[in-house]
Amino acid sequence: MAGKTLSDKILDAHALDDDAGATHRRVRIDALLGHDATTALIADAFEERNLKVWDPDRVILTNDHFSPPATAERADISNRFLAFARNCGVKHLMLDRGICHQLLVESPLCQPGGLIVGADSHTIMGGGIGACATGMGSTDILYALATGTTWMRWPETIKVELVGSMPDHCSGRDIILSLLQQLGESGGQYRSLEFHDLTEPKLSQDNRFAVSNMAVELGGKFGLFVPDEVTAAYCEARDGVPPSGLIRPDVDAVYERVVTIDLGAMRPMVAKPWSPANVVEVAELNETPITVAFLGSCSSGRLSDLREAADELQGHQVDPGVRFVVIPASVEVFKAALRAGYVESLTEAGAIFNHSSCGPCGGIDKGVLGATDVCVSTSNRNFRGRMGHWESQTYLASARTVARAARRGRLAPDLY
Amino acid sequence: MANDIITGRAWVFGDDLNTDVIHPPEFFSLHPDKVKRGLFHKFDPTLQSRLEPGDILVGGKNFGCGSSRETSMRSLLLNELGAIVAVSFARIFFRNATNNGLRCFTFAQPDVRHTIVEGDRLTLDVSASELQPANGDSISLAPTGPFIQKIWAAGGLLHMPPFGPSA
Repeated sequence: MAGKTLSDKILDAHALDDDAGATHRRVRIDALLGHDATTALIADAFEERNLKVWDPDRVILTNDHFSPPATAERADISNRFLAFARNCGVKHLMLDRGICHQLLVESPLCQPGGLIVGADSHTIMGGGIGACATGMGSTDILYALATGTTWMRWPETIKVELVGSMPDHCSGRDIILSLLQQLGESGGQYRSLEFHDLTEPKLSQDNRFAVSNMAVELGGKFGLFVPDEVTAAYCEARDGVPPSGLIRPDVDAVYERVVTIDLGAMRPMVAKPWSPANVVEVAELNETPITVAFLGSCSSGRLSDLREAADELQGHQVDPGVRFVVIPASVEVFKAALRAGYVESLTEAGAIFNHSSCGPCGGIDKGVLGATDVCVSTSNRNFRGRMGHWESQTYLASARTVARAARRGRLAPDLY
Repeated sequence: MANDIITGRAWVFGDDLNTDVIHPPEFFSLHPDKVKRGLFHKFDPTLQSRLEPGDILVGGKNFGCGSSRETSMRSLLLNELGAIVAVSFARIFFRNATNNGLRCFTFAQPDVRHTIVEGDRLTLDVSASELQPANGDSISLAPTGPFIQKIWAAGGLLHMPPFGPSA
């Protein structure tokens, strides 16, 4: 009998029926994630039906899109969300604590081998520690919140082997941009992307989160790393106890295809407007003056990203033609960055800090782009108009590239 | 709710049409009027007002990629779009459409999409999985499986057990 992939094994362990031949099956979930915007959409329908949350201890809700709200309408949405979360008795209502995806991976509810659904596409980032985590719309989330179950197809799996040793100036962002260049925006559609870290030294957990986060930009359903000692160390430091029973794929697992990326040959990458798959090496860029640099979002905005930016700007100044907006992914990240001195280094260099939230990534909060803005960003989508004006332009890159471009005032082939 | 024959005009799009273009985040709201008005607003501010109930969106690969915000789906429903036919759909978008009873079909032969021109009158026969342009040969669509049809027939996920009558 053919071996099983990691997502096969995790889904099998969560199946509620024994109908292994069915195209769609009912599964139980271990945790559910929601934020102010998409959770507010279901509040009325949930309450009208007199539903109850299946397990309030397994739900994380946070306000991250409007945190704090900038308009009266958003304050109303925020208040509707908060009233709903409180009425439901949700245990982990995290008011103004950061971006939901970062809060998920900071929580013991996110475990290797777990099955997690969230009301936002970047829920997939839980795969960074080996969870089958995936985003859904509000209707699916309402159903899952009330029943603790959902319906799923068992996805085919693409195995991604990461080999070699990554150069110091590259990061997880460059890895996932490179994969997007190779596979395209639908190259992982409906697939489970199973990452095998065979590098030396192993990728940090922050780099793994950056990779998993953007697996959805390939169309992926899951983007999960095979759990290993890095995963175990992260979970133990977070939970106080090591994770139990790490699940690994069978050695004879059946993959739809295998993609190998040699990190030894990795170069800093950038996605040009208006697709995250429109990727070239930084060295292939034309000189492009920028007006905005953004370091933040669930895609980056973690401590290692802030450290890289602080390293680049220590003792230097952001170009006077550039507004450099920095948003730590969570309040915990912000506090750690304060202790490490990164906030001071970046502020002295001319960067400005906003509160931990989604910020301008979705074109909603402070830092959005005007018609003539050209932005280099650590966020995950540079779709046309997403960060603001339809004519604005966004380039996606790593934190280090964003910081170098902010200092230089431009993207340029000789940034490295 | 089941509507077996859907008739409307074609609105033609390319590959990788993302949900931020379908419904810009600025139109995220709990107010239906605002959600309805936002459809394709940045892409073409005049498009929404020209839509008629039953109209059919025709797309390429990866239709609806990007964000899970269900306001994109609500806006399509509030504008009473009849169906979407595309080469392929992004996963979350397809779930959202199915959960809300909006028919999404893929072409049996992807290249056929190029024969459909904006404004063509189309008739979609849901049970036959067939698209008939007013002028031209009928176009075969990939049949959807019984699971999807069960959700359509119920009128959406929130009419399925345990919320609706058991099957």
